[in-house]
Amino acid sequence: MTETTEAKPRKLIPISQPISVLPSDIARLYTHLHPIIILTVYYFCFPYLVADPVSVLFKALAPLAHLQITYCVVCLPQSSGGSTPSPTSSKGPTTRKRVQFAQSAKSKPTSVGSRITPAIISLLLCLSLSAPLLTVILILFGAPLTTHFWHNLLCATHISLLGVLPLFYVHGVNARMWREISGACLPFDEVWGGLVGAVVGAWLGAVPIPLDWDREWQKWPVTIVTGTYLGWFVFRFAGEYFLRGKRIEFD
Amino acid sequence: MRLPGPIADSKLLEFQVCDVQNRRIDSPKPLRGQVLNTVQNQVAGKHGGWDARGPHFNRNIEKIQTYAWEITKSGQHYLTLSTGNARKNYMPSLVSSHKMIKVIKHASVMSPRSLSLLLLTLANLLIPISIFIFATGFFPYKPFIPGRATFQDPNNGGQLASAPFDKVIFMVVDALRSDFVYSPESGFKFTQALIRSGAAMPFTAHATSPTITMPRVKAITTGSIPSFLDVILNFAESDTTSNLASQDTWLAQLKDKQGGKLVMYGDDTWLKLFPDTFLRVDGTSSFFVSALITLGINPDHEGSPHTRSCLTRSTNSPSPHMVPKQSEMDGIVEQIYRAIETEEHLHSTLFVLCGDHGMNDAGNHGGSAEGETSPALVFMSPKLQTISQGSESPVALPEATFSYYNTVEQSDIAPTLAGLLGFPIPLNNLGVFIPDLLGFWEKGLLLQNARQILNIVRGAFPRLSFSEAETLDDCTLAMSAGETLSCLWFDAASLVDVPSHIDTAAALHALTRFSKHAQDVMSSTASNYNLSRLGIGIGLAALATVAGTATVSTALLETQATGLWISLVFTAYGIMMFATSYVEEEQHFWYWVSSSWLGWLLLKRRNAATLPGSLELWFAASLLVLLRIVRAWNQTGQKHAGEPDIARTFLPAHNILLWLLVLVTYLDVIQRLSRRAVPWASRHLATAASLALGIAALGFKVAFTKADAPELLEGLGYLCVRPFEQASLVAQARAIFTGIAIMMVLTSFPAVYQRVRGGRETKGRGQLKPIGKSAH
Repeated sequence: MTETTEAKPRKLIPISQPISVLPSDIARLYTHLHPIIILTVYYFCFPYLVADPVSVLFKALAPLAHLQITYCVVCLPQSSGGSTPSPTSSKGPTTRKRVQFAQSAKSKPTSVGSRITPAIISLLLCLSLSAPLLTVILILFGAPLTTHFWHNLLCATHISLLGVLPLFYVHGVNARMWREISGACLPFDEVWGGLVGAVVGAWLGAVPIPLDWDREWQKWPVTIVTGTYLGWFVFRFAGEYFLRGKRIEFD
Repeated sequence: MRLPGPIADSKLLEFQVCDVQNRRIDSPKPLRGQVLNTVQNQVAGKHGGWDARGPHFNRNIEKIQTYAWEITKSGQHYLTLSTGNARKNYMPSLVSSHKMIKVIKHASVMSPRSLSLLLLTLANLLIPISIFIFATGFFPYKPFIPGRATFQDPNNGGQLASAPFDKVIFMVVDALRSDFVYSPESGFKFTQALIRSGAAMPFTAHATSPTITMPRVKAITTGSIPSFLDVILNFAESDTTSNLASQDTWLAQLKDKQGGKLVMYGDDTWLKLFPDTFLRVDGTSSFFVSALITLGINPDHEGSPHTRSCLTRSTNSPSPHMVPKQSEMDGIVEQIYRAIETEEHLHSTLFVLCGDHGMNDAGNHGGSAEGETSPALVFMSPKLQTISQGSESPVALPEATFSYYNTVEQSDIAPTLAGLLGFPIPLNNLGVFIPDLLGFWEKGLLLQNARQILNIVRGAFPRLSFSEAETLDDCTLAMSAGETLSCLWFDAASLVDVPSHIDTAAALHALTRFSKHAQDVMSSTASNYNLSRLGIGIGLAALATVAGTATVSTALLETQATGLWISLVFTAYGIMMFATSYVEEEQHFWYWVSSSWLGWLLLKRRNAATLPGSLELWFAASLLVLLRIVRAWNQTGQKHAGEPDIARTFLPAHNILLWLLVLVTYLDVIQRLSRRAVPWASRHLATAASLALGIAALGFKVAFTKADAPELLEGLGYLCVRPFEQASLVAQARAIFTGIAIMMVLTSFPAVYQRVRGGRETKGRGQLKPIGKSAH
C-alpha cells in the first residue's frame, strides 16, 4: 500500500449541540436538587452497601430509576424521536450545516403524561442495551469475572441508570447521535457531563482497591460505585457550568 | 523537537502570540503558524499575507525587524510565528511593537535545541551518579569483626563451667512456617506430643527481611543480621567469596572444639556456604530438588556433633501434598529423637528443628509479610524436661499472625547454641540467649552474652567509651542510640561488678535490657544509613528529573492529549511509589493504565473516523480481552497471593488444555526455527535439527513436570516417553542447552560474518531476516 492510496479515515464532524434544561422554573430548580438528593441518599446507604453490596445495589435500582425518570420528565427536553438520517452523511462532506437534534421539543412543551412514556422506553433501553454492554466493559477493564458477576451487573446497571438513561431520553435512538456518543464527540452539558463523570469516576474508583488499609469498603465494587456517583455529581455541574459546549479533544 | 527538513540545521524558536493589544485571541488550541525562511520575510509580510496595513504598522514593523535581526545575529535564526487566524484579522492593524517585542524577548529565553541536548546529557549523566551515591549511603555499613571468638578473650566473658549438651543435630526445613508445626492441621504429630511432654520447647523465630535462604542461614549461624546486599549474594551462589567459612559461626566454633566433627546431609547451599567444614557430606543440588524429596535418614553416630539439613520445597501451602510431607518430616524427627533417647552416646544431644524462613499463602517468600517472617523453631531433648513443664499443643492460629508461643529472633539461635553446647559466642553475634533456656545455669551466661554484644556495639559507636563519664541518671534521656546503650551497659555493669549481685533479678534484668536494646539498635538498619549521601543522591536524582522533564516538555506539549496521558502516567507512577502497598501491587497500576490507554485509543479512533471501523474495533476489543486474560493469569503481588488464577487454578484443573497450549508453543518455535535457523544449510536439514531439538525439549519438559508436579500429568500418563523418563534430568537439560547453543552459533556467526564481509548496511533490518530470505 503506497502513501497516496492509503485510506485516511475521514474526520467525524460532530453536529450535536449541548442540551439545555427546560425553561420552566421547576425544571431549573429540580435539576440542581436532583443530584443532591441522590448523593444524600447514597451517603446514608453507604454503610449498608459496604455490608451487603449485592442486595443493597439491587434494592436501590427501583428508587434510582424513579428519581432518574422524574428528572428526565421534569427537567430535560425530549428527543425528537425516530432515527432521522444525518444530513451530513447523505449530502456528503461539503455540507456542514449543523442540525439541531433534540432541541425541537423545546419549542413545544408537552404534557407530563406524554413525556413519561419516552422516559420509560429510555429506562427499558438502558436496562436492556447499555447495562449488559457496560458489564462487558467493566470485565474487560478488570472486574472479577467468575466471583463477582452479580456485583458487576448491578454496578453497570447503576452506571447506566445514572449516565445513559438521560442520554436515551434526550437523544432517542438516533443512529448518528449514538455514533457520536460512542466516539465521545458530544459537547459537554449536564447530561453528557453526567455520563463522562460516571465513567471517569468508576475508573478512578479502582485506585484505592490495592492499598493495604484493610478496610471493608475497599472490596469490589464499593469503590467503583462510589466513584461513579461522585464523578457523576461533579461532572454534571462541571459539564453544565465550566465545560459547556466543549468537546473532548483526542489529539 | 520536530524540525522541518530544509532548515533542520538551524535553531528553531517557537512562541505564541497570546495577547495582541490586550485582546485575547480566542482559540481552544495554541495557534501554530508555518516556519518561514527568515524573520525578515515574516515581519515584512512578504509571505505572510497580511493584507491590511494599519497606521503605525510600518513603524512597528521596523522596530520588530530590528529586534528580530538582533536575535538572528545572536545565533537564533528562525522564528515560528504562531498566528493562525489572528494574523489575518488582528495582527496588521492592532499589533503593538512593544507587545510584539515582549513576546519575542520571551521566546528568546525558551530552550533552544542545544540547551535541551545539554539538559538531556546532564540528566543521563546524573542518573547513574545519583544511584551510585544513594546506594553507597543506603547499603549500611555493618561493623564486622574478623577472626574467631575464644574463651581467652577478655571481651567474651570467660568460659562457663557446665554445658548441658555436647552434640547437636540441627535440622533445617525450607520454608517451615510456624503453623506447619504448631497448628491442629499440622502433620507434625510426634513433635507436638514432645511439646506437650516438655521435651521440646517451641518458639516462633522471627526472620528479618529479606526472607530468602542464604541471608537466613547467615543469621542462624553467625547470629548477625544480614542486609539486603546478601540478597545479591544469595543468587550468586557460585561466588566463592560469599561463603561463610572465613566468618565466625557456630559451625566453625564446633569444629574448633576438641574433637569437633560436622556431618551434613541435604541441600548443597550449605556446602557452598561452608566449604571444607564438614567431615562427611551428602549434598543435593537445590535447583533440581523438585517439590518433594525424600532424604534417606540413617542416623549414624560416629562423628559428633551432627549437622543435618533437610529440605522440602512445597508449592502451595494449602496443597494436598503438605500434610503428608509434614508427616514425613515428623517421621524423621521421631527417628532422630528415638535414637537420642535410646543410644547411650547420644544422651547429651540437642536436637534443633527450624525453618529458615516462612512463606506466604502462595508459597512465595522474600518479603516481610507475617507468614514469611515466622518460621518455627523447636529445641528437643529429653533433658529439657528438667527445665520445662511442657506447653499446650497443637494450638489454634493466633489472631491474624503466625506468632505461636514465645517469639525470638532468628539470630538468637547462635548464642543459645553457644551457651547450651559450651563454646564461645560467635564474634559478630547480635542475638540474645533465649531466656526460656536459662534454667540450665545459675549465673554468668547473660553477662557473657552481653559482653560479647558490647564488643560489637563498640565497633559501631567508636566515639563512645562506654564508661561512667557518659552515664546519665535516666537512660531514656540519652540523646543518641549509642549514648542510650552506653548508659544501659553502665547500669548493668555496676550491678554485676558486685559478686553478690550477679544473680539477682535486677542484674539479670539490666543485662537483658542492654542486650535486647543493643539488638534492636544494631539490627535497625536505619542507624547505619549515611544520611548525607542519601540526601545528595536524592538531590541529584531530582536534578536529573528536572533536566529530563525540561527536555521532553516541548515534545509533550506538542503532542497534546497523548503528551498529557504520558505525563499523567509518569506522575501517577511517581506518586504511587510513596504507597508501599502500591509498590507491592504495582501490576495493578499497569493493568489499570494499559486497559485505559487501549480504551482511550479506541475512543479516539471512533472519534476520528467516519467509517464504523469495525476491524479496528475488533482489534482493540481483542487486545482488551487478551489484556484481561493476562490480568487473570497469575495472582501476583501480596494482597491476593494464593487466590485462584488461570495458571495455578484453572490450567491444573484442565491439564489437557495446558498441554495443548504447551504443544502449540513448542510447534510454533519449531516451525520458526526450521524456517530461520542455520540459513546456509538446506531447509530439510534445518527442519530436522529444529524438530529434534524441539522434541527433546518437549520430552524434557514432560519428564521434569513428572518429577516436579506430577499432578499436572494426571490422566495424561501416555505423554511420558520412557527414554526421557529414565534419563537423568540434568543430563537432558545439558544436552538441550548445548543443542540450543550450537544452533545459535551456527545461525548467527555466518550472518555476522557475511555482514562484516559484505560491509553493506541493511537499514532497519534484523541480522537474520535478509539472509534467511536469501536462503529460501
